[in-house]
Amino acid sequence: MEHATSLGDKPPKILIITTIASSYTGANTVGQARAQYAPNTYILRVPDPVMFPEDFYLRCFDKGFAGIIIMSSGSDCPYEGAYGRLSARVGRTYLKMKEKGIPTTRLKLTTVCTVCKHAFLKEIDDMQNHLKEKAA
Amino acid sequence: MSGAMDEAKVGVYVCHCGGNISDVVDVKAVAAELGKHPQVAISKEFAFMCSDAGQKLVIEDIKSGKINRVVVAACSPALHELTFRKALQRADLNPYLYEHVNIREQVSWVHKGDHDAATRKATSLTRAGVEKILRQDRLESIHVGAAKRVLIVGGGPAGLKAALDSAARGLKVTLVEKSGRLGGHLHEFDTVYPGGQSASELLGKLLSAVSANPAITVVLGAEVKTWDGFVGNFKAVLSTGDAVNAGAVIMATGYRHTAPSAGEYRFGKDDRVITLPALIEQMKAAPRGPLTRGGRAVRSVAFIHCVGSRQIEGVHAPQEDGKVNDYCSRVCCTAALHTINALKERQSDLAIYDLYRDIRTYGRGHEAIYEQASKNGVLFFRFTEEAQPEIRESSVVVKDVLTWNQEVELPADLVVLVTGVKPGEVAELTAMMKLPTGSDRFLQEAHPKLRPVEVANNGFFLAGACQAPMDLVESAAAAGAAASKVAAVLSKDFITLDPYVARVDAEKCTGCEACLPECAYTGALFMNGSKKAEVNAALCKGCGACVAVCEPRALDLAGWSLDQMEAMVDAMASEVAP
Ligand SMILES: Cc1cc2nc3c(=O)[nH]c(=O)nc-3n(C[C@H](O)[C@H](O)[C@H](O)COP(=O)(O)OP(=O)(O)OC[C@H]3O[C@@H](n4cnc5c(N)ncnc54)[C@H](O)[C@@H]3O)c2cc1C
Repeated sequence: MEHATSLGDKPPKILIITTIASSYTGANTVGQARAQYAPNTYILRVPDPVMFPEDFYLRCFDKGFAGIIIMSSGSDCPYEGAYGRLSARVGRTYLKMKEKGIPTTRLKLTTVCTVCKHAFLKEIDDMQNHLKEKAA
Repeated sequence: MSGAMDEAKVGVYVCHCGGNISDVVDVKAVAAELGKHPQVAISKEFAFMCSDAGQKLVIEDIKSGKINRVVVAACSPALHELTFRKALQRADLNPYLYEHVNIREQVSWVHKGDHDAATRKATSLTRAGVEKILRQDRLESIHVGAAKRVLIVGGGPAGLKAALDSAARGLKVTLVEKSGRLGGHLHEFDTVYPGGQSASELLGKLLSAVSANPAITVVLGAEVKTWDGFVGNFKAVLSTGDAVNAGAVIMATGYRHTAPSAGEYRFGKDDRVITLPALIEQMKAAPRGPLTRGGRAVRSVAFIHCVGSRQIEGVHAPQEDGKVNDYCSRVCCTAALHTINALKERQSDLAIYDLYRDIRTYGRGHEAIYEQASKNGVLFFRFTEEAQPEIRESSVVVKDVLTWNQEVELPADLVVLVTGVKPGEVAELTAMMKLPTGSDRFLQEAHPKLRPVEVANNGFFLAGACQAPMDLVESAAAAGAAASKVAAVLSKDFITLDPYVARVDAEKCTGCEACLPECAYTGALFMNGSKKAEVNAALCKGCGACVAVCEPRALDLAGWSLDQMEAMVDAMASEVAP
């Protein structure tokens, strides 16, 4: 069963959750390099995505985001133990997504640093391609 | 928050940034669309918002009472968030009632080919900024009392320089050194690159300045044993029993030499094979005359670079923690070439072969040392990590990339392994102080470019090779920077902290304690006498881990509340066609 957040005829919006310390700056680096990516991507800046409960992601899907990429600071995270907690939360979110029939591939946890231009663009490309395949 | 929202009147300012934004984004359309928002009282566009004229627009609109919250859609907040916060302050408005929306680096510069979509996206993002600021409280910076003393851990060159610079800025210093003497690795060298000064003269200058300075207390043979407190008021007890109350800490715990793994290049099996630090020590002990080994004159030496650095999993034996050192140790190329030149100076007929993967003489004046080695007749051979040189009975064999992988056999009375560096033994200390380390195990700065000597933990700073392999020039620069940062933090009797920390709505807190195990910072989050969660703002780092598990939403991160984030998501998700 496809969940209520199915893409329909709306553009498949992608929410990109970034960290102030790493990936938000990484996104700026991409801009400074004038690298181009699709505009259906929306960057949210937070100190650390560990602040989000599992239901936050489900709510984002409900509101119309087709894909979510969490660009964490990974092992470079300045907050003690936050990355471990974040990945555990994402693991639990996957279980909830399964229960609701939302493909878990629509949520991706990854690591992007302040200068990771290629990783940033690749993650977006991967999610775009994945969403296109799903919609086809 | 709640009541504040009703009386909120937001001013939205969309920046052209010359044409940087307006060449792609229809800024007039964005401003017009935002103007329709019921709580946006003013919506304008302007050529350069960061200019004096742009800031004046905002200040005048605030002073005239038309607006009491501000959103500027422009470049990255890293560039001008603070500029506009200060403008709000000048207009007597709480500086945190400001939101900076990035429509340049994250819109106009990356969506050049689709102006309509870029405009729609800029509108959504600016709307999200409005929704966020509508839910923002008047936050106040946090003030905590400050002890005007800095604790410096590690008395190597970086620690000594940091101590002198801190004292020169009027601070009291406690310098704690684990070993029985100050000076760190500087004791090991005869002369130092670049410039070739005498290491003992350099050290002598530092030591006499430190001992003559009454503001500096040195504690030798000591380590930090217990740790407590927060920026402005750290409390340490040393292994000597001394108690230290310091407002800030500079970590200057330096590095250790890596040791070749058992049998690597026959190290430990063949007494012709030694490390670079061992050669430097031998040359320092006998500074003149030809080099000898086992009582016999040495006529040929082969240096092999990158031993214990730039290691590759599967090729090299892992370190104690199971990981390989995949980083470049940076200082060893120049250190080896500096040593080679010193050898050539005392024994010009010595045959020297330098076997390298890459020569990284990166610093000012370092390339001249490399050049000098070439002029001195040193022969260079380049190998790849897959084909490492082989140590034979009285020679070294290398497949030389520079001559299309020709196998060259070189006579070698002595083989010097140019070993790398690894961080000091600080695992216990960093666990106790809860300091972050990178994947290379060196202490980690908050941001490599924007906050290079600060740790994310408030009140902690880094000096020298504890942060990464550094030479003396870089260590001194970092130590000076750390001392100025500390002086800035401790310049007043109190410390001002960003208000972005967790906070508790006591009425909503059910006392379930689910948040407690989420908090990694001892004392930052606790249950008070009324069985409600309470946050010590000076200890909280603002990661938000506790927020995620608080079902009644009693816990929130000031400035980044879940309500704000959800409202932003809603604004981004809703289609707004300008
Ligand atoms: C082979 C070699 C040759 C080099 N030659 C040169 C050169 O010619 N020129 C140059 O510019 N650079 C050179 N360097 C680099 C130079 O050694 C470093 O830049 C410098 O030593 C860094 O100073 P530091 O104070 O950060 O660290 P260190 O010199 O390592 O000093 C750290 C100090 O902290 C103490 N410490 C460690 N842990 C604790 C603890 N828990 N509590 C209290 N104290 C602690 C240690 O005992 C030590 O005294 C060379 C490096 C190598 C490897």
